[in-house]
Amino acid sequence: MTACEFADKPEIELYFYGELDTVERTRVEAHLRQCEPCRQRVDDLQAIRRALAAQPVVDAPPAGDWSGFMRRLDAACSIDAGARLVARPPRARAHWSARSVLALAATLALVTIGVLLAARFRAAPGPKTAALNPSQAEAAAASPFSTEERALREVSAQHLERSKLVVLGLAALDPKATKPADWQYERQLAGSLLSDTRLYRMAAQDRGMTDVARVMRDLETVLIEASMSDNTDRDALERVQRLITRRDLMMKMQVVALNSAGS
Amino acid sequence: MTVDGGLRATADSDLVARAAAGDGAAFHALVERHRAMVYRLAYQFAGNHHDAEDIAQDVFIKVYRSLDRFRYDAQLTSWLYRIVMNACIDHRRRQSPAGWAPFTEDAELRMVNTPEEGPGPEDQTYGGQLGDVLAAEIARLPPGQRLVFTMRHHEGLKLSEIASALDLAEGTVKRQLHAAVHRLRAALINARVTTGGRA
Repeated sequence: MTACEFADKPEIELYFYGELDTVERTRVEAHLRQCEPCRQRVDDLQAIRRALAAQPVVDAPPAGDWSGFMRRLDAACSIDAGARLVARPPRARAHWSARSVLALAATLALVTIGVLLAARFRAAPGPKTAALNPSQAEAAAASPFSTEERALREVSAQHLERSKLVVLGLAALDPKATKPADWQYERQLAGSLLSDTRLYRMAAQDRGMTDVARVMRDLETVLIEASMSDNTDRDALERVQRLITRRDLMMKMQVVALNSAGS
Repeated sequence: MTVDGGLRATADSDLVARAAAGDGAAFHALVERHRAMVYRLAYQFAGNHHDAEDIAQDVFIKVYRSLDRFRYDAQLTSWLYRIVMNACIDHRRRQSPAGWAPFTEDAELRMVNTPEEGPGPEDQTYGGQLGDVLAAEIARLPPGQRLVFTMRHHEGLKLSEIASALDLAEGTVKRQLHAAVHRLRAALINARVTTGGRA
C-alpha cells in the first residue's frame, strides 16, 4: 500500500476551508476519489462544522445586558484619560512641580470619589445609618457577595483610593529630570502602604476574590520596586513607571474600586 | 450614553478620527458596533462570561488608548483582531502561575504552545453531545491554535486575513490550523468510540 501523500499535511483542511487555488483543488479532488482515509478526514471536518454550528453563539454578557460593561468601560477610559494627562509633561517645562502634580492628583481623586459615591448611591439609595435600612438590606440581599466579602471589598477599595495618589505621583515624575533623592518622599509613602497591601492581597486570595487579589499583587509589586530603591539607583524610577504602565495599574485599581463600591 | 442614528451610519475611519479628537459619542458608537464580535471571540477563547468581559474591556481600553495611532488605510476589524489576540494572550499570561516571573520571549512561546490543563474528553461524561466535547477540546487548545481556529471557523476569515490581522506568516497560520483540526478530529474519533458511534 502506498503512503498517502497528504497524510500529516494541511492540504485536506485547506481544501475543506476553500483555501486552495484551482490547480491544488483539482489535485486534492482527484486524490480524494481514491483515498478513503482522506475522504474520512473531510467527513470529520463536516461533522465538526455541524456540531459546532449547533452550539449557541455567545456574543454578549448574560441576558444581553451591556449596561454594566459600558459603565465600567467609561470609568476606565476616564481615569485613563486623567492618568495620560498626568503622564505627559508640557513641553515648555522639564518636569511638573510637586504642587501641580498634587493638585491634579487631588482633582483625579475627587472625580474618582464622586464616581464611587454615585455608584454606591445607585446600588443602595437612602441615608447611611449604622443598621441596614430596608433598601440597603435589599441591595445586600441582591449582592452576589457574602457579608464578609463585601466588607473586604469595601476596605480594599478605600486602600486603593489611598494608594492611587501615590501611584499617580510616581507616574507623573519625569525620570530624566528627577534625581533619586528628589523622590525619596514617594518611596517612603510606598513603603508605608506595603504591609497593608500585602495583607489585603492575602485576605483576598484566601477568599477566592481573584480580581482584588490581582490588583493588590500588582500594586504590591510596584510598591516593592519603589520602596526598595535607594539614592544610588538611578534607573529605579523608570522601572517603577514601566511596571505601572505594563500592569495597567491605574485602570485596574479604578475598576476594582468601582466593582467593590457597587457590591 | 446612547448612539444617535447619524453616528450609526458613519464609517469606522470617521468614527476613529472623531473619537481620537475627543468625541465620546463617536467612541461609544465604535464600541457598540464592534463589541459583539469582540465579545464572541473573547468568550470562545475564555469559555466563560467573567473572563470574556475582562478581555473585551481590555480590548476597548487599548483601542481608546491607541486611537491616534490607527492607520487609516487599514481595516478597523483587522486592527481589532490583533488587539483581541494580544488581550487574550495577556489574559492567559496573567492567569498562569508564571505571571509572577519576569516576562520573556521564551515564556511567551511556551505559553502560546502549551495546551490548557483540564480533563480530556475521555474523562468527561456526556450523552452524545458532540458539540460539547468539541467545545471542551477547543478550550484545551494552546492559545495560538485556539485563536486561529476560532477566527477561521467561527469568524470565517481567510488564512491570509488571519495572518495579516495577527501579523504572522501565512505558513504559521496554516500549521496552527492544521494542528488544531488534528486535535479536534482526535476528540471526535474518541467521542465516537466512547459512545459507540452515536456522537
